[in-house]
Amino acid sequence: MIDRPLRNPAIIWREEDELRDAAMAMLERGEDASGEGVMILLCAGVMHQLNMLGAEIWKRCDGEHTVDAIAAGLAEVFDAEPDEIAADVREFVSDMQRRGWLAE
Amino acid sequence: MKPFVLSAPLIVNWTLSFRCNFACNHCYSRAEDASAELSTAQIKSIMDTLAARKVSFINFGGGEPLLCSDLFELAGYASGLGFKVSMNTNGWLLDETRAALAKNAGFETVGVSIDSHRAEVHDGFRNMPGSFERAVNAVRQLRSNGVRVTMSSVICRINADEFVSLVDMAESLGVEQIFLHNYKCAGMGMTNRDELDLSPPEWREFYIKAMNLKAARSGIRISMDDPITATIKGGDAESPLVKGSTCGKLSLNIRANGDVTPCGFIPVPIGNLLRDDFDSIWRGSDVLGKLRNKEPKAKCLQCKHYADCLGGCSARAYAATGDFESPDPHCWFEPV
Repeated sequence: MIDRPLRNPAIIWREEDELRDAAMAMLERGEDASGEGVMILLCAGVMHQLNMLGAEIWKRCDGEHTVDAIAAGLAEVFDAEPDEIAADVREFVSDMQRRGWLAE
Repeated sequence: MKPFVLSAPLIVNWTLSFRCNFACNHCYSRAEDASAELSTAQIKSIMDTLAARKVSFINFGGGEPLLCSDLFELAGYASGLGFKVSMNTNGWLLDETRAALAKNAGFETVGVSIDSHRAEVHDGFRNMPGSFERAVNAVRQLRSNGVRVTMSSVICRINADEFVSLVDMAESLGVEQIFLHNYKCAGMGMTNRDELDLSPPEWREFYIKAMNLKAARSGIRISMDDPITATIKGGDAESPLVKGSTCGKLSLNIRANGDVTPCGFIPVPIGNLLRDDFDSIWRGSDVLGKLRNKEPKAKCLQCKHYADCLGGCSARAYAATGDFESPDPHCWFEPV
């Protein structure tokens, strides 16, 4: 796995503020927001959506943060167990690598 | 995840000018008024508006964008605002100096139009002797200046049987991505439709071959961007979130006078950015609403593929019938 993931520069992306606010409101109400898209990615003409966790990982894929550093940062943001979120981050980074969403 | 309307388009295609140094047989814009153009300051002001809406990508088309004396200034301004910037050019004016200017202005990519691997065929289609050689030279100059290059090829009767050679040529030139554009029966494309457009069965045959080639090639990305390909089994590795035409959903078009249209091939103004609020256009336009919520008509009513293709290309349907919701005239399906 890539140690310091970097977003593929050919991908067009944007966080949707209104959708993010709505997902945040769900979290504050104690609801599950994992199915709520807050970010859009346009890859080779196909649009994808990321939920809040995916979006936060994507934003940190700057070629400087290590996978472990991303996981540690997100554990604080989402008030989650570090080991659990580290597994999610690794799985998502592997998936992005397979899809070509990360720079070589 | 749930479908939704984006807060703003991701991509804006921008015709800075309808002026052109070519007179191509398929051109959608040759009949347009080439006199009404925005000032540099007006264009920058609109760019500020788009940046505030977090539009990501601006593609300059035309007309020929290199005829605009402020092109590199505008591209530099746009890239400074954080946009990814590209343009489509016929390559005639793209010499070593302009390739370097493109690099300095921050062009993310430049698309060069080449429609055949045979010079005489390309030159004939573009009605410009020597244009093939100039376009190939443009690709080389851009690459040697470190600009990523794509190639645009309009698929029609002159090249449909030879498109593999076209892809081979693009790959040998170091082009990253080739766009095999479907023929649009708009403008001169409508005038010359009988001579140049393929029949629906011929489109099906072309797309099956092109998809097989796309799957087999790793040295160059092959893009078709035609919603009608969703009807071919195995055509999409993944089911796209946005189905049907993407105009008015992911992208929007700005004309030389500031008019906004859903795409370059749908000449229906839905506002003007010198006069109208951008959000009101994007969220409130009845035309965009109709494009985002198409209803099947005619043969689409009985077609099992409608949920995937949403009637195919809205621009083609509009050009052929005056109705976005009519079946795509390239569609080969006849529901039983």
